[in-house]
Amino acid sequence: MALAGLGLTIYVIFHMLGNLQVFEGPHAFNSYAAFLRDMPILLWTARIGLLSIVVLHIVLATQVSLHNHRARPIGYAIHRYRQASFASRTMMVSGMVLLLFIVFHLLHLTAEVIGSPTSDRVDAEGYRDVYGKVILAFQNPLVVALYLVGQLGLGLHLSHAVSSSLQTLGLEHAALDRLFKAAGPAIALLVVLGNVGIILAVFLGIVRP
Amino acid sequence: MKFTLKIWRQNGPAERGRLVTYEAQDVTPGMSFLEMLDGVNQRLIGNGEEPVAFEQDCREGICGSCSLVIDGIPHGPDRGITTCQLYMRRFPDGATITIEPWRAKAFPIIKDLVVDRSALDRIMQAGGYISVNTGGAVDGNVLLIGKDQAETAMDAASCIGCGACVAACKNASAALFVAAKVSHFAILPQGKPERTHRVSAMLEAMDREGFGSCGNQYECEAVCPKSISVRFIANLNREYLRAGIVEAGLPGEPESPHAESV
Repeated sequence: MALAGLGLTIYVIFHMLGNLQVFEGPHAFNSYAAFLRDMPILLWTARIGLLSIVVLHIVLATQVSLHNHRARPIGYAIHRYRQASFASRTMMVSGMVLLLFIVFHLLHLTAEVIGSPTSDRVDAEGYRDVYGKVILAFQNPLVVALYLVGQLGLGLHLSHAVSSSLQTLGLEHAALDRLFKAAGPAIALLVVLGNVGIILAVFLGIVRP
Repeated sequence: MKFTLKIWRQNGPAERGRLVTYEAQDVTPGMSFLEMLDGVNQRLIGNGEEPVAFEQDCREGICGSCSLVIDGIPHGPDRGITTCQLYMRRFPDGATITIEPWRAKAFPIIKDLVVDRSALDRIMQAGGYISVNTGGAVDGNVLLIGKDQAETAMDAASCIGCGACVAACKNASAALFVAAKVSHFAILPQGKPERTHRVSAMLEAMDREGFGSCGNQYECEAVCPKSISVRFIANLNREYLRAGIVEAGLPGEPESPHAESV
C-alpha cells in the first residue's frame, strides 16, 4: 500500500507540474498535450499502469482496514487522541473523496462524458485545443467547487500518506527525521497549491482564452 | 476531594459489560489513582458488594501490570507514566472520570478492568529470546558494545509490556511493542544469531493473535509509560525488509525451539 501510494504521489506531482504549463499559453499547453498523446503505446501503458496501481492501493487499503477493524470488536465509551493528526484520522474519508473526485475528473476532462465535448476543436496550429477545454471547464462555478473539494481531499490524504509511507518503508534516521516528517505536508501543499492555482487562475480570469 | 467514577463492570469473559457509576469520597490529592480505587473497593466490600477488579503489582511504574484507560487515554492524562503513578491532584475536585479496560480482540476481558495480555507473551515466545550457552558466565567486557548502541538498545528494552500502545492504537496494533523487542535484540551482538528469523516470527505471531497493523498515527508513543519512540517501528520495518531479503537466500525454514508452544 505504501509503495503503490508513493507511486501515485509521484504521478500527481508530475500531473501538477505538467499542467502548470497552462500559464505559458495555448501553444505550450496544447503541444504538451499532443506530446503526451503522441505515443499511444506509452499513453495506454501509463493509463493501465496507473489504473492498476489505484486498484491495488484500494484493495490493499480495504484489506488492511477490515483486518484492523476486527482487531477491536468492542470500542471505547470515550476515546481521546493525543497526537494523531487530523489528516491521519480521516484517511478513509479523504481517500473516498479522492476516489469520487478522480472518477468525476476522468469523466469530465478525459472521457468528456460530463460537460460539453470539445475534443474535436483544434487551435490555430492544428493541435487539439486542450487549453480551450480547460478554460471553458473552469468557468463553471460548480465545477470549480467540486475540484476544490477534490483538492482538499488530495491535500489531506497526501499530508499523512507520504510521511507514513516513508516510516512503513523503514526510512528513518535521527538526522533526517524532521525532513521525513515534513515531507508529507510539504508535498501535499505543493501539489494542492499548484492545482488550485490553475483552477482559480482560470476562474478569476487571470488565464484567458 | 470527591469524584464520580464511571467504571466498566463485566463479570466474566463471555458476559456483557456496562459502565457503572460510583462515588469516590474522602480522596486526598496525594493519593495515587489505584489508592483511590482501593478506597472505592473498601466501601464496596463494606457494603457487601463485589469490588472492582483491576490489575496492579509493583505500584512504582516498572512492572507493567496496571492497565486502565482513564477518560479515553491509556494510563491517564499525564505522559510517560503508568496508572499507578498518576495522582488524584491531577484531576479537578468533583470531576467525573471514566475508567475502561484495554480494548483489543487480542486482550480478552477476564473481569471488570482486568484483561488477558498473554498474547504479548506468545509473541515473545515466537522470537523474543537469545541463545545463551550453558556453563560459566562470560567475563565482563569481553563483548565490547558502543555506548550509543547500548543506550539505544536500553531505550527499546525499557518496554515493560503493559500493552498501552495496543490500547491507544486505533487499529489495536502491537507494532510498538514488537518494534521495541525486535530493536532491543537486533542492536546488540547477543541478539544477532536469531536476528533474521526473530522479526518475521514475532510479526507473524502478532497477526495470529489478532492485533491490527500500524497506521503511523503515533498514539502509541504518546501513551507509552516509557516514552518509547516510534522510530523503533521504522527500525522494525527495516528489519522485516532485511529478513525478507536474507531469508530468500537461506536453504530452509529455521526451526523455532519454541515451535510447540506457538
